[in-house]
Amino acid sequence: MSFIEVRQISKTFRVAKKKSGLKEAFRSFVKREYLNIKAVDDISFSIEKGEIVGYIGPNGAGKSTTIKILSGILNPDSGSCKIAGMTPWKERVKYVKKIGVVFGQKSQLWWDIPAEDTFDLLRDIYEIPEEEYRTTKKDLIEKLNLQDIINIPVRQLSLGQRMRCEIAASLLHNPEILFLDEPTIGLDAVSKQLVRDFIKKLNKEKHTTIILTTHDMSDITTLAKRIILIGKGKVLYDGSLKKLKDKYETETYISVKTKDTLNFKKKGIISKKKNKDGYELVINNKLISISELLTFLSHKISIEDIEIEQEPIDKMIVRLYEDYQI
Amino acid sequence: MKIYFKSLGMHLKSELEYRVNFILSFLSQILVFFTYYFIIIALFSKFNNIKGFTMYEVLLCFAIIQFGFSSNEVFARGIDHFDKLIIRGDFDRLLLRPKNIILQVLCSDSDFVKSCRLLQAIIVLIIAIIKLNIKWNLMKVITLLLMLLSSCVIFFGIFLVAASYCFYTIQGLEVRNVFTDGGKHMAQYPIGVFSKGFVLFFTFIIPYAFVNYYPLLYFLGKNDSIIYGFSPLIVIVYLIPCIIIFYLGMKRYTSVGS
Repeated sequence: MSFIEVRQISKTFRVAKKKSGLKEAFRSFVKREYLNIKAVDDISFSIEKGEIVGYIGPNGAGKSTTIKILSGILNPDSGSCKIAGMTPWKERVKYVKKIGVVFGQKSQLWWDIPAEDTFDLLRDIYEIPEEEYRTTKKDLIEKLNLQDIINIPVRQLSLGQRMRCEIAASLLHNPEILFLDEPTIGLDAVSKQLVRDFIKKLNKEKHTTIILTTHDMSDITTLAKRIILIGKGKVLYDGSLKKLKDKYETETYISVKTKDTLNFKKKGIISKKKNKDGYELVINNKLISISELLTFLSHKISIEDIEIEQEPIDKMIVRLYEDYQI
Repeated sequence: MKIYFKSLGMHLKSELEYRVNFILSFLSQILVFFTYYFIIIALFSKFNNIKGFTMYEVLLCFAIIQFGFSSNEVFARGIDHFDKLIIRGDFDRLLLRPKNIILQVLCSDSDFVKSCRLLQAIIVLIIAIIKLNIKWNLMKVITLLLMLLSSCVIFFGIFLVAASYCFYTIQGLEVRNVFTDGGKHMAQYPIGVFSKGFVLFFTFIIPYAFVNYYPLLYFLGKNDSIIYGFSPLIVIVYLIPCIIIFYLGMKRYTSVGS
């Protein structure tokens, strides 16, 4: 039995069907048609203690719904889920003491007062022993670099500062599982880096199991070894990021600086574009390897400079979504 | 309970952040709500009683209902504005905390500006009691306290039921104002001045009559039955189905998008 066991969970939402226009608004006021939308459709997976799992999928795929079910906010229509031996939506009070949740788009801090006051309130809510609270807080302040911002009303903080406080607030009670729903949304490069490093360290030091949803693929590459891809409410891929990369990362971008002209065709070169310094080539790794291409090129033309770039992971994901038609 | 008072303190702290706004709203609220009392005074300058109730008797009744309503507005704002809690998605957050949900909803919001209404209600209550020349005994003190308590409880119950409706529609319900604001305006007068249908409705469906009619009769010495004196306790029983309805609604909660 794994630490987190999810078996065939489904959840359907009933949404009122509405057309645009005032007339239609009146009509739907009187008689409403409903659409059933399967937000989560027969999802199963299991996660071991101490794993970091990236949960990805396009907007509306059912990521947040899954997180809400796993964290006990929503009751699924069917299926079972055991996390640390408990069913989240049945043993809510006992269960939520073991988890921490960060919603990137929703704040849990009190808007008009300093974050530290929220922390104190959370201590009472979670009934954290004074001693433990003090050490955890000190530790979090140090690691997330909060010394200077913890006493400023939250509304005056920048997004990055606030997110660091949010993460600290979710970890005060030392949860065993941390759910992160788009934790780096809207953050600048420095804050992103800080948040990622912190998550990594947390996982390493405290063996916190982390489930992370994001649209930022560099979050996934730096943090998660395993990803679960969902689309239209179904699990499409569950496995290592590396395998997925091997399967999908087939294109390499090469820009060649040269004064000569390239006048040839070769199998494996997908596209060729001339710019003012030379050429930009896209090759298919499966048909031609980079070294093959380089030997080929150096025989034909004199190369002044060359730049090789792997396909950006974002683009890979786009193709992945296209492949699965989601 | 400690958590509740602590979050109350934090709400106060955040409201005081906007100092000028707080003072101005407080003053304007005082003006607005004195007009309510002036209406009654104006009414009684024409008629000297309504179905046997004198001006101070009606004011007493009025003050008790205002007391219950505004203490809910101050201390249970989260229930009153429950639709906002759901629409903004903040209810999700409450579900993630290891504490009783209704308690947390209570903690989620409060409105100290409305405490001026509470203050007014208490002032009017005191004036009315002084002017009424009540023949005091222990039972009357108990009855008065029970009336104040049940007034708070009944509005809490009604707010709770109205809040449950949000689980089904994710939207506040104007119909509920028939029972809260509408009911409040009716109940500000002793229910007995209305026709029989109303009296039955406000006795058995929403038991306003147990808050300020039957006990009032006892308190004013119009009826000597001690049962009338204890009748506000029935309102506490009424709270039970309200809480059950709330929890049933919570099972249907569907949250909002992220």
